[in-house]
Amino acid sequence: MSKYILPVLLILLIVFCILKRVKVYDCFLGGAKESLQLTKTIFPYIAAIFVCLAAFKASGISQQISEWLRTPLSYLGIPSEITEIILLVPLSGNGTIALLESIIGEYGVDSYPARCAAVISGATETIFYISAVYFSACKAKKLRYAIPVALFCTFLGTVVACALCRVM
Amino acid sequence: MRIQFCMNAAFTALTLISLVILTITAPAEAFPTLIGGVQDAIKLALKLAAIYAVWLSVLKMMQATGIDKKLSRAVRPFVRRLFKKESDEAYDWISVNLASNMLGMGGVATPAGIKAISAMDRGDIRATDNMILLLIINATSIQLIPATVIAIRAAAGSEDASSVFLPTLISTAVSTLSGIILCKTLSLKDKNRNGGLMPKIGAIKPDFKQQKRQK
Repeated sequence: MSKYILPVLLILLIVFCILKRVKVYDCFLGGAKESLQLTKTIFPYIAAIFVCLAAFKASGISQQISEWLRTPLSYLGIPSEITEIILLVPLSGNGTIALLESIIGEYGVDSYPARCAAVISGATETIFYISAVYFSACKAKKLRYAIPVALFCTFLGTVVACALCRVM
Repeated sequence: MRIQFCMNAAFTALTLISLVILTITAPAEAFPTLIGGVQDAIKLALKLAAIYAVWLSVLKMMQATGIDKKLSRAVRPFVRRLFKKESDEAYDWISVNLASNMLGMGGVATPAGIKAISAMDRGDIRATDNMILLLIINATSIQLIPATVIAIRAAAGSEDASSVFLPTLISTAVSTLSGIILCKTLSLKDKNRNGGLMPKIGAIKPDFKQQKRQK
């Protein structure tokens, strides 16, 4: 059902544009032009995070850390299959999606760990990436309590997500 | 915490440790790994450019028809209550950022977020409480429709791909609400420490005239 929402909204928007005599073609040209400029600005940040992440994963540190976290996290009701995704979530959105697909492949799409992983991927954001990009164009650089609070609340949401997946 | 310093320290430390381990375990793979990382970044950047092209066009249409004003007016009272003492321009961008985030239009939310943070900038090196609040609401993700995840589950042959919809919604609601509450408590605490005054430099507020970003 929800897969109809976005396309239908777009159709309504275009119809509304025609009614309001807005030039749809010109809008698209403007959007395409701006998209390249925006991508250019944020590319260095993406590249840095990806280089770091590639080395982090290839060296086996990320598996090692998730190995250590496995037991403490299982006390909070978080299945051990998804510890690596929890580590990766604040760092990389694409990494999260890639891991989600591998968890789905390994345990089956409707299994408990795969559903937990899906909810976590949908309910979280890449905290470090957002902070770097949002503050890239302004003078304020001291983020004070922002990142600890964001990490803590995301973790709280994760615990809730795993509990909900058991019952829903 | 200074983000630039933080990122520098974290980036250097993580990359260095990983490289040392890689050099010991698989020296031949060290450089291909780094280059592979940038390759992935370029793939993502291309994907993002495509997503932005479509969504920014949608945003342009929304601006041209005036729907964005209506949407942002719908969340405006809520935004005003959460973010006190900001300029109209900042309220506009915050509203667009939050509204597009809720609808899962990440491509629109990011540029609007960058502009909102810049509009709240007072030249101080410390981020203001409002900037942090906006960042935390974004970082705890307020998406209403997890479109990508549902698409992935459907593609993998799930029996009920959108069954994750409700748990996702509750989970983000919990994290965002706790984020707002924590943020407000911490900023109150900060103010008390300063003797009930606003942050010293932040108190001198540049006079933003109500700017129309689209004539």
